[in-house]
Amino acid sequence: MFEAQEINVEHKDLIHDVAYDFYGHRMATCSSDHYVKVWDQTSDGKWSLTYSWKAHSGSVWKVTWAHPEFGQVLATCSFDRTAAVWEEIVGETPGPGERGTRHWVRRTNLVDSRTSVTDVKFGPKTQGLQLATCSAEGIIRIYEAPDVMNLSQWTLQHEVQCKLPCSCLSWNPSLSKLHPQMLAVGSDDPNPASGGKVFIYEYSENSRRWTKLETISSITDPVHDLSFAPNLGRSFHILAVATKDVRIINLTPEEDDQSGVTKLDVQTISQFDDHNSLVWRVCWNITGTILASSGDDGCVRLFKMTYIDSWKPVGVLKGDGSPALSDVQRSSTATGSGSQTSTPSQTTARYIKLGSITQPRDVPWH
Amino acid sequence: MAGKLEIQWSPISNKFITWGSEICLYEVQPARETSAHVFSISNTHCAQLLATNTNHRYMRSVDIYPKSENDLLLAIGLTNGRVALSTFGPSEYDTRGFPGKELVPKHPRQCNAVLFNRNDSYLIATGLDKFRSDSSVLIWDISKFSNSDSNNSGRLAVNTMAPAVELVKPVAEFGMSELANSLAWFHGSSRLLACGMNLKNIKIYDMRDPNKMINSTVTKAVYGISINYHEDRHLASFFDNMIYLWDLRNFEKPIQTLPHAKPLVKIEWCPTRSSVLASLQKDSSVINLYDIQHTVVGNEEVEPTVMERVVVPGSPHNITSFSWHSNDENRLLTIAVSGTIKDYIVFDRSTVNWTPTSCIVWSKGRKTLRYINDDFLNDVSTRMKEGARTRYGLQEDFYKNAKLVNNNEILSNVWNWLHLSAKLVDDGVIRGTSCRHPGVISIISKMDLNTTKSETVTLSWAELGNPSCQGCAKYYRHEERDKILHLCSWPLDRDLPSLTKFLEQLEKEGAYTRAAAIAVFNLAVQLAIDLLSKAPDTADFGSSLNVVAMALAGFSDDATSVWKQFCSNSKNKLTDPYLKAMFAFLTAENYNYDSVLTESGVAVDDRVAFACMFLSDGKLLEYLKWLSEKLCDEGNLDGLLLTGNTSDGLKLLQKYLDSTGDIQSTALIALRGFHADLGTQVVKDWIENYKYLLDTWKMFYERADFDIMLAQFKPNEKPPRQVYISCSFCGKSISAYMAALNRGRGQFQRMAGTANKLSSCPNCRKPLPRCSICLMHMGTTTTGEMDGSKSVSFDNWFTWCQSCRHGGHSGHMTQWFKEHQECPVTGCSCRCFAINAIASKT
Repeated sequence: MFEAQEINVEHKDLIHDVAYDFYGHRMATCSSDHYVKVWDQTSDGKWSLTYSWKAHSGSVWKVTWAHPEFGQVLATCSFDRTAAVWEEIVGETPGPGERGTRHWVRRTNLVDSRTSVTDVKFGPKTQGLQLATCSAEGIIRIYEAPDVMNLSQWTLQHEVQCKLPCSCLSWNPSLSKLHPQMLAVGSDDPNPASGGKVFIYEYSENSRRWTKLETISSITDPVHDLSFAPNLGRSFHILAVATKDVRIINLTPEEDDQSGVTKLDVQTISQFDDHNSLVWRVCWNITGTILASSGDDGCVRLFKMTYIDSWKPVGVLKGDGSPALSDVQRSSTATGSGSQTSTPSQTTARYIKLGSITQPRDVPWH
Repeated sequence: MAGKLEIQWSPISNKFITWGSEICLYEVQPARETSAHVFSISNTHCAQLLATNTNHRYMRSVDIYPKSENDLLLAIGLTNGRVALSTFGPSEYDTRGFPGKELVPKHPRQCNAVLFNRNDSYLIATGLDKFRSDSSVLIWDISKFSNSDSNNSGRLAVNTMAPAVELVKPVAEFGMSELANSLAWFHGSSRLLACGMNLKNIKIYDMRDPNKMINSTVTKAVYGISINYHEDRHLASFFDNMIYLWDLRNFEKPIQTLPHAKPLVKIEWCPTRSSVLASLQKDSSVINLYDIQHTVVGNEEVEPTVMERVVVPGSPHNITSFSWHSNDENRLLTIAVSGTIKDYIVFDRSTVNWTPTSCIVWSKGRKTLRYINDDFLNDVSTRMKEGARTRYGLQEDFYKNAKLVNNNEILSNVWNWLHLSAKLVDDGVIRGTSCRHPGVISIISKMDLNTTKSETVTLSWAELGNPSCQGCAKYYRHEERDKILHLCSWPLDRDLPSLTKFLEQLEKEGAYTRAAAIAVFNLAVQLAIDLLSKAPDTADFGSSLNVVAMALAGFSDDATSVWKQFCSNSKNKLTDPYLKAMFAFLTAENYNYDSVLTESGVAVDDRVAFACMFLSDGKLLEYLKWLSEKLCDEGNLDGLLLTGNTSDGLKLLQKYLDSTGDIQSTALIALRGFHADLGTQVVKDWIENYKYLLDTWKMFYERADFDIMLAQFKPNEKPPRQVYISCSFCGKSISAYMAALNRGRGQFQRMAGTANKLSSCPNCRKPLPRCSICLMHMGTTTTGEMDGSKSVSFDNWFTWCQSCRHGGHSGHMTQWFKEHQECPVTGCSCRCFAINAIASKT
């Protein structure tokens, strides 16, 4: 069967994010232990730790790689209210011909946020070196390095008020010139009364501003993650949202030449409550044809596009190390006295609410 | 008492105890077949009762000797204030005389808490009710206790009922005339003890200085004091339905309060997580978890944030107690009113990601990542990667690409169509089109119905060798119709030799029913019968094909004939689309062939060819347009036969891409078949996306091949120059001058002669930079390796570091960096080569 490999990353606390570089041969992990670790894949496919450092003074929520044409560059964001940009540099070498020891230095610390910075992502490389952050205070910030050779200088280009605490963001990765830059932002605000929790922003070249294009009002539960699928030349964009279930949403730009503003046709294509609990993360494969999600049931679930606008679950990977199966499996072991064999999801944790907040300055963390 | 069941993991990692009116010891085992002795506590584990201890009644509190290795030593706090030491049967502690001993306070009163010190494990703290001026917190040292015991050599060393015997005294006493509600030893310092006192204080005592407490606060929350295993500063306690979180550095007021709906029963920090607190409420079947995040920004500590999470361990009744496992991550035992025990592992939030190299990776807790290749999903990405590796789509001959798509009939059809249509156009069979891949619709549209009507051919079935028929078969012929038949590789005008050849080919492929149907459509019923009867029995259809042949042999077109009636009725029972179509054709009334034309199991080219033979001019175009629209809607690439490389074809490709994500075939078909549209933004985007994908996979050679093929179709568009040279003195472009110089000389001179001759700026005549090794100006050839040949090897090219901008002849540079790390320019400590090494890693 399919045996899952294991990497012992030895963080001292919960791992929050795993990021791969453009080619998938380098990996960065970040954790509540304030550390970021960088891993390289050796020629035999194993992962070896290259460098590990204390990056922040709080939980590191997200880590992300820049496109390799900008060098070996990482960005992180943390509970300590900052986001940081890191670059790998070469140190002293033992001798000629050998590769020098490499280490990561902080190029800049972005301290504009007054609350936890919940997500950080580099923009599409066609737009130069851009970085978007979002924070629990509900502000999206777009930074830009005007000189890509100088990573210590970042200017805050845009500040977009989102009103609700933001938990996650995703750039539309489309390479097409037909598509203006687009961002999706999710909020983990626990109050359903505050309306839709997913916002779509677009950059208008004319007004040089980011404007809110759409609020996806069908999602009123807290959103923990969202991700645009690689566009791949499709005529529409696919957005996956992790909330109390997995949602797949198609965003189709509609031709509207007069106003110069894109209109989006938003359609929720699929909704899967297979996790039977809260969904934490969603991610796409390289073609945007399969979606993976992780939830409180401790499983990773896979959903595949079978035909246009039609998705179905295709597999479950159990988190506790049992072999991954391509079908939803039932545990066949426990046959206790009269107790029914139950699917993992039934005995699982459920998040009923997030952030029991008594003081206004408190921010829920996702 | 029975209602108040408690549970606790023991220091031995697979054993736990429960206690209510008696103490039970259980062992956890991997789940196996149910037997009388075990009961299930989770999907993977079951528990077996090992022993019970019924020696003590009126237990108030129980703790287990933390250094227990094989046997458990229990300290049991009783209602009379005594602490009894006990074991389950004979144990390693017998020789030391612990079991059966009691620790007795001066005055009997209720014992509220008993706690072993985790570090200094011989220390036991007891918290008692108030009694006049007696102390309520007593610390005992059982190691001393055993010594005194060995001196006396009696078993009952301590007993207030026998005052003659010397009492073991507590090693420390606190809380004179006070009431101790709960206790907690600090984890970092073995001498510190936090106590909830008198329903109004939390006090911190130091054993080394029993006279004064070192810290205290005023609060009602004196119950269930618990100290974070990872951070001694952080305390939690509760009162009624409120949890209070404390920080010892600022002990005056709680840093956070967590309200609950119901009164709390128990709280406990998670030993394996630095910031997780679990709580249990009265009459509740869930455990609440709080993840409490502290952080320091600069010198200022930000207020903690708390995330609440509710765990449903799945016991059907209200939980009365729970216990964290001390080593296994997030493992929790719960016990319900009914005695149901559940072993539960709280899943951590796990992150998940997908590598460009097709691995799914997800985290498990804090230590491990798991990853698995996504091969088993048989996704289009896997197929595309394989396709790129085999140079799919880049083969010069279209039909070779068809062979590279494994078992994908639709794609191989497309490549075969590209091949066939190009061949027909090149051979002059199809003329008058500007493109190499005309679609059926564009051919038909050229049919000028006013001048040249299709010729109708009528043949009587009887003459065709079907003696029981009276009627006639009717089909149409036209020059343009013939072209379409060519495109569908059908024979023209029932040309027997080419028909037989075509059918033989199909027979070889095992498509017996298709061959038979096509034979029938070409009015050769006898041929079809032969074909069907020749079909081997082993085929999927088995003997039924012979039966079909028999049925076919009775063909009669008389509307009243038994044959026709029977066939009309039973043809719907056939599953094979071709057989269905065949009988539909033979039983059709009034030349109405709709059921053949809408039979979606019949290949599109067969249906188109059929329509070309049997549909009248008016209906033909209508049908083809309908079919094309339908296939476009479905994103079915078979529709390309109809649309050809028109804008409709592009729309069809877009639809195919939308529904499959197969950017590879889309980009390649657009590149190879839609030359005219290569300039449109849509096609450019497809090509860009495919190249991006190849880049991600590090398939640079494949990408270069793709670029070369792309350049073939766009001879006017050279890839843009990516490096420009300008003079460092006057700033004018040198490359522009060189390009102008080259224009007259043909493109292959570009890299050669002129570049070498130019060693100064053509504008200001200042010299170009020097090679940092040979100190010759840029543009000078290296002399050392000149062997008279005109070859301009790569060694002569100029190269420079993107970081420090120093450089020279690439040959010299390579040589230098074989032996050195730093830049050859004096004073420059740039590690040019190593910087490059980072980027080119793996």
